[in-house]
Amino acid sequence: MIIESIDVTKVYETRGVETRALDGVSLALEKGEFTALAGPSGSGKTTLLNLLGALDTPTSGKIQLEGVELSELSPSKLSELRLRKMGFVFQAYNLIPVLTARENVEFVMELQSVPAADRRKRADHVLERVGLGGLEEKRPLEMSGGQQQRVAVARAIASRPSIVLADEPTANLDSATATRLLELMAQLNREDQVTFLFSTHDPLVMDAARRVVRLHDGRISSDEVKESGRT
Amino acid sequence: MLFRMAWRNLWRNPRRTAVVLTAISVGIAGCVLSMAINLGVMTGMIDTAIRSGLGHIQIHADGWDDNPELEVRLTEGEVPFASALDSIPEVRRWAPRLQAQGLVASARASVGVSIVGVDPERERGVSVAADSIDEGEWLGEPKRLVLGYKLASRLEAEIGTKLVISAQDLGGELTGQAYRVAGIIRASSRDLDDGLVFLRLEDAQSLFGMGNAISEVVIVTEDRERVGLIQQKLQSSLASGSEVRTWEQLEPLLVYMVQSFDSMAWIMYAAVFIAMAFGIANVLLMAVFERTREIGMMRAVGMSRVRVVAMVVLESTLVTMIGLGLGVGLGLVGVWLLRDGIDISTWAGSLDDYGIESVLKPSMRPRDMIAPLLIGALTAILSSFWPALRAGLAKPADALRRI
Repeated sequence: MIIESIDVTKVYETRGVETRALDGVSLALEKGEFTALAGPSGSGKTTLLNLLGALDTPTSGKIQLEGVELSELSPSKLSELRLRKMGFVFQAYNLIPVLTARENVEFVMELQSVPAADRRKRADHVLERVGLGGLEEKRPLEMSGGQQQRVAVARAIASRPSIVLADEPTANLDSATATRLLELMAQLNREDQVTFLFSTHDPLVMDAARRVVRLHDGRISSDEVKESGRT
Repeated sequence: MLFRMAWRNLWRNPRRTAVVLTAISVGIAGCVLSMAINLGVMTGMIDTAIRSGLGHIQIHADGWDDNPELEVRLTEGEVPFASALDSIPEVRRWAPRLQAQGLVASARASVGVSIVGVDPERERGVSVAADSIDEGEWLGEPKRLVLGYKLASRLEAEIGTKLVISAQDLGGELTGQAYRVAGIIRASSRDLDDGLVFLRLEDAQSLFGMGNAISEVVIVTEDRERVGLIQQKLQSSLASGSEVRTWEQLEPLLVYMVQSFDSMAWIMYAAVFIAMAFGIANVLLMAVFERTREIGMMRAVGMSRVRVVAMVVLESTLVTMIGLGLGVGLGLVGVWLLRDGIDISTWAGSLDDYGIESVLKPSMRPRDMIAPLLIGALTAILSSFWPALRAGLAKPADALRRI
C-alpha cells in the first residue's frame, strides 16, 4: 500500500462558520493504481487530494504514506516528503513561466540535488516520452495548454515519485487534447507502473480510470473498481 | 537555479522593474552628488582654514592654551625646532610666528586687530596670505605691513598709506610704531580679509620687545589624515615646555561645523533609503501577490520555505544592486559634469565669512561610497523580508486555491 487515509475529517472555519469538507473518509491506494476521485463541486475531492498530497492537514484522522504518519511531521518534513515521494499536476499554473520546458522538468530534480548531467538527461528523456521532443527550449507561453500539461506530467514523473496526484488536469483542455493527455498518463501507468490519483469531475477521466471513488458531501458514496479503464 | 529564476523574474514586468530601477538610481545619484558636494564644502572649509594660517599643526609654549598672551612664548626662537621638524619627513613646511592683539589706526579710523609677525619666505609655504595679494606686494622691506581689503576699506587705506600700530608690549608698556601699507590681501577668509595685519617677524619682535621669542610654529604636513601620528612624533622629539596641537584641537568649532554638515547629510541619506525601502517592499509585495498560485505550486512540489524566501530576497537584492550601480554611475557622471563647481556667489556672497567658498566643488573619495552602498544593500535585503516571508509562510493549499 502506498497511501491511505484513516477516518479523516476536515473542517474549515471561516468567520465563525464551520464547513465540514470531509467527514470520516477512509481510503487506501496500492502501487500502480489509476484512480479517480469523482464528484460534484464541493464534494471534498480536492480537499482529500490535498490531504493525501500533504498539502494540508486533517482536522482529525490519519494519513499514512508508505507507513509514515503524516500528522507527525513538521511543515519542513512534509515539504521534503512531497519533494521525494510525490508528483503533482494541477489544473492551471503548473509551470514556472520564466523557465523553459526542460528547466521546468528539471526543477524538482534540482530541488532533489540530482547532479546536473543526470537531470538534463532524464528531463530530455521524459520530454521525449510525453511527445515533446524538440520543445525543450520553449517557455510555457510559447506552448499550447495541452503541451503545458504534458510538461507538467513530465516534471511530475521525472522525479520518480511514489504517486502522482493530479487535480483536475483536463479542466482547461478541449476534449481531444484531454483524451491525448489521458492516453499518455495511462501509458505511463501501464509501462512504468506510475501510480496516479486524480481529482476530477470530467467524464473522460472517470472513464479512463480503473477505479473511481465517488464523493458526496464529504463522504465516499461509492468505490468502483473496473476490470480495465477505457479512454 | 534560484539566481536564474530571480533574475528572470525581474524582467517578467519590464516596465515595473524599470520604474523601480529609476527610483533607486535617481535616489542614489542624488545622494552621491549631494555627498560629493557636501564633502567638497567640508574639505573646502577645512582647507581654507588651514591655508588661511591655521596650518595642520601648531607648536606653542606650555600653558598657551589657557593664556594665549605674549608672556607664554617660545623663547629659544626657531633654531631648536628646526632640527626636530626637519627630521620628520611628513612635515612639508613650517614657519615661526608672533601673534598679539593691538590697534591699527589711519588718519580716518582705528580698528582692533590681530598682529602677526611672520618670516615672509617661510610664511609662503604655510598660508595663502602671500599668494592672495590683490594690490601691491607681500612683505619685503622692513617697516611694512600687509592687511586685508576689508580692513583696508575700513581704514580707508591704500598702498603706501602710513598706519600706526599701538599695543601693549611684553613688559606691559604701551608701544607703537608706524608702518606703510605694502600689500592688500583679497582671500575668501574673514580673518585674512578683515582681522589680521602682517608684519615682518623682526618688526613684530621689536614692537613687542620680544627679543628672539615667538608665539608659535605653524606646520603644514603631507597628509591631513595623519596629523595625529605626526603630532605624536613631534611631541616626543621636542624638549619639554612646548605643546603640540592639531588643527582639530585648535579649531573645535570648525570640527563641530563639519560634523554637523555630516550629520545633516546622513539624515538626508536615511530619508532616501527609507523611501527606497518602502518602494522596494511595495513593488515586491505586488509581485509576490501576483505570483501567489505559482509560489503555491512551487511549495507544493517540494520547494522549501527557506528557498522561497531566498528567491524573493535575491530578486530584491538583484534589482537593488543594479539600481545602486546605475545610481552611483549617474552620480559620478554628475560629479564629473560639475567638476568646475557650482557658483552660488549671486545669492550667497557672505559664505566666505564661514570659510565656505562661493563656488561649491564636489569631491569624492572611493571609501565614501562604501557606507552608502552597504546601507543600500542592507536596505534592499531588509525591505524584501516582509514580502519574502509572506511568500514563504503561505500554505500551499491556500495559495493554490487563490483565484
